[in-house]
Amino acid sequence: MANKPRVGIFDFTGCEGCELNQLNFEDQLLDILEHVEIVEWREAMDGRAESLDIAFVEGALSTPDCIKRIHEIRRKSKVLVALGACAVQGGINALKNIRPIEQVREEVYGQDKYLFPTLPALPLSAVVKVDVNIRGCPMTQLEFLKVFTALVMGKAPVEPGNAVCTECKLKDNECVYEKGMICLGPVTRAGCDAQCPTFGQYCTGCRGLVPEPNVEAMEEILVAHGLSMDDARKKLQMFNANQLEGVS
Amino acid sequence: MARFYLENGKVAAFIGHLQQQKTVYAPHRKGRNAFAFAPVDRPQDVVLDYPRTVSSIKRYFLPPREELLSFNLVENTCEQPVVAPLDAVFLGVHSYDVHAVLKLDHNFVSGNPERNYLTRRQGALIVGVGFTPDRFHFSGSVGVPAGDTTGCDLFLHPCEGGYALEALTPDGEGLVAGFPLPAHTAGLPAAAPFHQHIYVPQAKLKDVLAHGYDSEVWEEEAEKCTSCGTCNLVCPTCYCFDVEDAVDITVTRGSRERRWDGCLLRSFTEVAGGEVFREEPAARQRHRVFRKFKYISDETGEPWCVGCGRCTASCTAGISIVSIVNRLVNDHDAVKA
Ligand code: SF4
Ligand code: SF4
Ligand code: SF4
Ligand code: SF4
Repeated sequence: MANKPRVGIFDFTGCEGCELNQLNFEDQLLDILEHVEIVEWREAMDGRAESLDIAFVEGALSTPDCIKRIHEIRRKSKVLVALGACAVQGGINALKNIRPIEQVREEVYGQDKYLFPTLPALPLSAVVKVDVNIRGCPMTQLEFLKVFTALVMGKAPVEPGNAVCTECKLKDNECVYEKGMICLGPVTRAGCDAQCPTFGQYCTGCRGLVPEPNVEAMEEILVAHGLSMDDARKKLQMFNANQLEGVS
Repeated sequence: MARFYLENGKVAAFIGHLQQQKTVYAPHRKGRNAFAFAPVDRPQDVVLDYPRTVSSIKRYFLPPREELLSFNLVENTCEQPVVAPLDAVFLGVHSYDVHAVLKLDHNFVSGNPERNYLTRRQGALIVGVGFTPDRFHFSGSVGVPAGDTTGCDLFLHPCEGGYALEALTPDGEGLVAGFPLPAHTAGLPAAAPFHQHIYVPQAKLKDVLAHGYDSEVWEEEAEKCTSCGTCNLVCPTCYCFDVEDAVDITVTRGSRERRWDGCLLRSFTEVAGGEVFREEPAARQRHRVFRKFKYISDETGEPWCVGCGRCTASCTAGISIVSIVNRLVNDHDAVKA
């Protein structure tokens, strides 16, 4: 390829688990670098780039500075990709949004709270236009590569819209409800190959809600399987506090 | 044809005898309370007395994920993978799942014959087994009693101390040959009763469904439904699929994959340009039920549901196809009475 796409990798509020996951690509990292030129990446290099073809952005927006930076990144990037649950939905950071912000600041920073301005934790899409989502906490290598190859070819990546249950059923899994557990698979976006139920765990909803989720039905299912309505709500809020409030 | 007595103590040895002839697929325990068909490794792991498997043996003829072709973008070539007849024995299949395979045969022979499915189907022998209906089975209402042997080469009728092994085809007799068994001379035990029923035959359901097209039941059930698609994906007579192309990291090679899909899923009804042609979950639920009892049935005269109860047993929202249909029957009768 004559002109390799210029790529930048950025992080906001999150654990950097998604980026680190990229570094773990070991066997594929060289193949990836065949196709693109990484020109900006705080974790692995110094300096800033003027313009980018693709920006991969991890983490939620949670301070005034984040808002400023994401606008800068958006301005200089042709394609902006949100990486992982924090960037796509706000992630578990958004749990703070369900409590008064002053209380949250005080609990975390005590009397120094005025030194640390904070905002509700927002998904990137609440502030700028996001072109592609790579979901999950953390995102999976498989999905990253799928999106990456599509972008390199100049195609629009396909974002999974079905529920996690579909992948469970393709694998002939025992539904964890059969074992007396609960699961958010019925309203959570597929694409992880139902990895949690496959290992006997329940889906916590890390990949976000399906398009047009029937949240009331999901709550009823959780209640019918023994949760209080309050606990049902909390389970759903873990990764989707923003979506449940209509922020996306 | 002949009927033999296979006592419980000889079942494992009999499975071993089958294994010497062909690959054997049979139900195994999966997880804590579930069962699934899998190739037999150790005969003692096979479970012949089970309520239902997560999905049916359909998955061996129409795999949940299947590569349809692989391609090379640089050389501009593509290749279809070789598909071969399965040449296997399916052991311990319930009567409704055999009927479901026969229905799929019909679907895949009609119109454009489905090459991959029909090729795999060749040479597959079926050893049926009776079952005790649980609270979800209702195959008796759609013409498939627990002891129905249609489509089987051999059938294991549960009886005192073991099974009455009935040979139904020359292929079935061939499978037993060389495994000495005494004749079974006693009568077959009466079939256990069903606990779920659809109260009217298909001939009447035709009108019942037509009458129920605008029923409130669709919206009522949709309120409880998450559109998770499970009811489609576990159904032994559902055969819809999606196709997706993907390239690998070389960006020069890739493959086209087909995987199961279903009409309850919103994305199933989403077409190019983002248009969703069956937007309402209620309309999608109605479509599923009409696919089982009206659209194909009006052509064939048979229900296209085999009464396995999987859709209901595995719906986390507890939506029951029998309740929906019986509700439509009642509504119909109330008006026509
Ligand atoms: S385990 Fe969860 S994801 Fe899997 S089928 Fe059950 S509810 Fe759906
Ligand atoms: S099963 Fe659920 S929690 Fe687990 S990876 Fe998938 S979406 Fe996330
Ligand atoms: S399994 Fe139940 S909740 Fe899921 S789509 Fe079917 S009817 Fe709806
Ligand atoms: S509609 Fe339900 S009961 Fe009927 S064959 Fe399909 S899964 Fe079984």
